[in-house]
Amino acid sequence: MIQKKVCMVGMFGAGKTSLVRQFVYSKFSERYHSTVGVKIDRKVVVVDDIEMTMVLWDLSGRDTEAEASPIYLRGALRGAHGVIYVADGTSKPSCDAVSDLQGLANSIIGEVPSVIALNKTDLVDSWALTESDRVFLGSNGPVHSTSAKSGDGVEAMYTSIAQSLVGVRQRR
Amino acid sequence: MTEGDDASELAVLRELLFSPDRRRASELEEKVNAQRLTPEQLAQQLPEAIIMRAGRDNQLARALAPTVENAINESVRKRPGDFADAIFPVLGPAIRKAIAEAMKELVQSINRTMESSFSPRRMRWRIEAIRSGVPYAKIVLRRALVYRVEQVFLVHAETGLLLCKASPPDVATPDADLVSAMLTAIRDFVGDSFDAPNAGRSAGGLHSFSVGELTVLVEPGPRALIAAVLRGQPKAEFRRNLAETIEDVHAHFGSALVDFDGDSAPFAATAPLLERCLVTALDTDPNPRTTPVNWRPALIAVSLIVIVGVAWAVQSAFGWQRAMRALEATPGLMVVSSERSFRTSTIRGLRDPDAAQPNAVLASAGADTTAILQRWESYLSLDSATTLARASRMLTRPDHVVFTLRGDSLVAAGRAPMTWVAAAQSGRALPAGVSGLDVSGMELEFPSALQPLADTLTQSRIPFDVGTAVPAAAGSASLTSFARALERLQAAVRAMGADVRLDVVGRSDATGADSTNQALSQQRAEAVAGLLARRSGLREVEFTTRGLGTTQPLDALDDAARARLNRSVSFVLRPVSHHPRPQ
Repeated sequence: MIQKKVCMVGMFGAGKTSLVRQFVYSKFSERYHSTVGVKIDRKVVVVDDIEMTMVLWDLSGRDTEAEASPIYLRGALRGAHGVIYVADGTSKPSCDAVSDLQGLANSIIGEVPSVIALNKTDLVDSWALTESDRVFLGSNGPVHSTSAKSGDGVEAMYTSIAQSLVGVRQRR
Repeated sequence: MTEGDDASELAVLRELLFSPDRRRASELEEKVNAQRLTPEQLAQQLPEAIIMRAGRDNQLARALAPTVENAINESVRKRPGDFADAIFPVLGPAIRKAIAEAMKELVQSINRTMESSFSPRRMRWRIEAIRSGVPYAKIVLRRALVYRVEQVFLVHAETGLLLCKASPPDVATPDADLVSAMLTAIRDFVGDSFDAPNAGRSAGGLHSFSVGELTVLVEPGPRALIAAVLRGQPKAEFRRNLAETIEDVHAHFGSALVDFDGDSAPFAATAPLLERCLVTALDTDPNPRTTPVNWRPALIAVSLIVIVGVAWAVQSAFGWQRAMRALEATPGLMVVSSERSFRTSTIRGLRDPDAAQPNAVLASAGADTTAILQRWESYLSLDSATTLARASRMLTRPDHVVFTLRGDSLVAAGRAPMTWVAAAQSGRALPAGVSGLDVSGMELEFPSALQPLADTLTQSRIPFDVGTAVPAAAGSASLTSFARALERLQAAVRAMGADVRLDVVGRSDATGADSTNQALSQQRAEAVAGLLARRSGLREVEFTTRGLGTTQPLDALDDAARARLNRSVSFVLRPVSHHPRPQ
């Protein structure tokens, strides 16, 4: 059985938990975010006839970057095979934070496959991103527009990171 | 000869003298150069050389020791983690082996202590099983379950991914992957919370935590950790079991752990190791091979027997004493000798024939009379109880008669037929210890044959005319027939050794003064008594007279009849003991 540890990081309110709620198997309640700081979920994806279990470490977001604790993230990110960065399309700080979070993650676990979930496409009218913001975001990795509310793009996003993970494995 | 000549000559001489040697030297040098080992040659020969030298003496080891020590020191200094990882599989067993020996003795002694305390508990469980109808084995499982390991996880330390798991068939573990990841996260969380970064991943950190009945034990290794979820209270030996398992995993799967990239297939082979940890520990027979050491029930049984025996002995001694005291307290019984033994006891003594039966006395004192051999000789007891018993037997004392002793005299009281009194009084068979019989206080009864006649006399009435104390004409006739009947009775009673006492009772009617009436009734009684007493056949009759006046009137239907009825004399009569009349 192929298992991968995938961390979901992003600022508070970016919609990480929503991306989990309807699309993955949850055992633990969302209370774990506030108590342990992390919630573990499971997403099973079939890629190239290979069933892969992604163990999702849904790391609780912080209000501001300043509060993000590197020590805490260090422990949670260690050994991660992939990272899903979640950004809120309606919040510029949320998108800008992706770059910083990625820098932090890379310093801990090195370059690993990652995707950026640009969430809340259902609120596209109130998006706060300029074209240059989107380009900047894209420079950090493949961007998948998702709507946790409607479900648009969510499965594609999970499949995409799974494919990257399988690819990494096959390359090795 | 010049200096130059000298030099050339010397050279020639040297050539002559040394050339063979020099040639030989250069040959040797070439040979030596040819023989110098290249690194390749050395690599080839070194192992063989080391083996040869090591077989000869200890020089090589001595020479290498400082270098090896330095190398190790250097390695430990530079990369302590790698070194620790390398020696991890051997370090644990070595330490444990040393500790195990020391612990062995202690554990055995504890086991023995534990075992001896089981029997009463098992007895309780058996009773509980019988009472509740639940199978004994289930009760034992419920009551004696120390701990049961329900899940064992092998978790990759760095990623928190599940490598392998084991659980009993009846325990489902659908979320083992999530649980193991969460477990890793929680270990990190605890480490972070208590300001010990990375503690969760090092050999320290969270080792166990409990939730209700469940305990989670975590035994970390450098690259993987083993976690056991168990119900109940784990014992130290189980923790050792976990430590051994994680060491075995590292020893056999070390490279697979290093190369792990999410494919847990290679670790399916660790399942047998994990299953070794699926222990169910019952607190029943920790050491079954030492069953003969089960001395406690035997001791209890022996103690019980001793206690019962002592109690029986004490009880029987007390019982014997009690029986002896009862015998001695019984009038007419005298114990001369008694001997108590385990099987049959013996009593010898004297018994008055009128005393109580010894068997009855013994039985009422709680003694087993079948186990007592008795021999009683007859004797005459003069104590009062036996004397009274004897008197009752010899005089065939009627039920209503009570005997008491006044000195040597037997005093009889109560009611009895005059015939019995007469017989008793004849005195020909006074019981031993009695010199006289006093029946003066007794109330005598006519024998049944005379009772109808006595009744007729009692119902007779002698009428009087108003105001007179002389019987009327009709009264005179009544008196004559009464006197004749009384004579017959007296004669019959006299023949039986008694006399009749006649109480003559006079009454008056209600007219006139009470004092007059009283006097009149007395005169009437005396008049009748005087008339009767004159008759020769009634000379032995004791007469008494009473004048009641109007105090106890007889009742009738009307006033005239009542006045007529009460102007009369009536009689009360009973037998009395025959006494010689005083002179």
